[in-house]
Amino acid sequence: MVPRIKDLVEVLYREIPTGVGSKGRLRLTTQELKKVLLRGAQWVVEQGFGDREDLEHTESGGYIEGADPDVISRKAYERGSPQLGTLGSGNHFTEIQFVDEIYDEKVANSLGLFKDQITVMIHTGSRGLGHQVCTDFLEVMQRAAQRYGIKLPDRELACAPFNSQEARDYFSAMNASANYAWANRQYIMHWVRETFMRVFNTGPKGIGMSLVYDVAHNIAKIEEHTVNGRRVKVIVHRKGATRAFAPGHPELPPVYRETGQPVIIPGDMGRASFVLIGTERGMTEAFGSTCHGAGRLLSRHQAIKKAKGRSIRREMEDMGIIVRAAGRGTLAEEMPEAYKDISNVVEVVHRAGLSKKVARLRPLGVIKG
Amino acid sequence: MGIDGIRRVDDVRLEIPQDFKEGMRTKGIIYVDEVLEKELEDHSIEQVANVATLPGILGHSLAMPDIHTGYGFAIGGVAAFDIKQGIISPGGVGYDIN
Repeated sequence: MVPRIKDLVEVLYREIPTGVGSKGRLRLTTQELKKVLLRGAQWVVEQGFGDREDLEHTESGGYIEGADPDVISRKAYERGSPQLGTLGSGNHFTEIQFVDEIYDEKVANSLGLFKDQITVMIHTGSRGLGHQVCTDFLEVMQRAAQRYGIKLPDRELACAPFNSQEARDYFSAMNASANYAWANRQYIMHWVRETFMRVFNTGPKGIGMSLVYDVAHNIAKIEEHTVNGRRVKVIVHRKGATRAFAPGHPELPPVYRETGQPVIIPGDMGRASFVLIGTERGMTEAFGSTCHGAGRLLSRHQAIKKAKGRSIRREMEDMGIIVRAAGRGTLAEEMPEAYKDISNVVEVVHRAGLSKKVARLRPLGVIKG
Repeated sequence: MGIDGIRRVDDVRLEIPQDFKEGMRTKGIIYVDEVLEKELEDHSIEQVANVATLPGILGHSLAMPDIHTGYGFAIGGVAAFDIKQGIISPGGVGYDIN
């Protein structure tokens, strides 16, 4: 497998549109894009990109109710339409990895993970569409906060009462963006599978690439939780945090009802990524949430300065990791030193009991935007 | 004692007491050990405290160990609001939706 990584990275880089403002190979009509915004990955699977099992292994089954395509601005449509099925830039990536450590044999087994197995991880979101939705609604919310007399210590916290019209519009637009993100990853995952099948000249069974789990990590959702002994409906904001539901949670699909929800934690491109599992303590203490990644240590600007005169690509290759990036500055911005050590981050949530370690994955090949 | 006004609860939890800042409706909890505590930015601590002032917040204003400064809300932040009395904020989700 390892000698083939270079080929795979090259082919994946060609097959999956990557980079700032990259345009995809999909040509969807406005009507079709509206279906994406309403039904996310579910619609994509119906079009033949993936299968039913993918949806079972995706948070919320690949889409959430309550999306409204009509509250999305024309500008958001213009940005989002050509970008569906693209990776984008920044910290977004496709990685070929291998399982180098199993912490919980039983759970790993239920998730279909075993030592030395090859895995692929995809990290991308709602691209320009979600970005534009955020920009549009920050303006709306600045006015709303004033209108409803909400005292803010920082104007960046602009918000509106959840039962106001402004909040309803934002929530519908955000849900639509979330559905776009699930759809986006579904397309990309499908193309990754196709690429593997072509490179290894085999069929879907031969390649055996089933989805472990797909999670969101920038989202606000209505959920029921226990607060001070009372069951209440809340709107949970997770910004750079991941849902991590405990075993037995009714929102989990039957296959994961007993184990709890798998959590995917991408690390930087040089060190590692992790698979965790949700716990009861995470439910009671953190609204069923855990960390989302390594977390930046250096700003993009600081990282570029630090990388001056170095070849990050070469440094990575010396570590046995093949890297391909679309943007000139991307590798500098994304170098391992720009991030906190993912092992420390994961150790903290594990020791705090918010989620449990299941497996560690090491990168072999990285495609960056 | 590390940062002014912040209290270490145990080896993986820091507490921002409710009197850390005027208007806080609940305390803040940041999940970090002593290694990651050294990498905490003052501004991101401030942001966790700010979120605790928002109407309808339930439980605590939380931050995961991968915390860093974001737009309004820290990245790594978790906050739950009552759907009847609480708010929703685009800054609490961020630009890279989902």
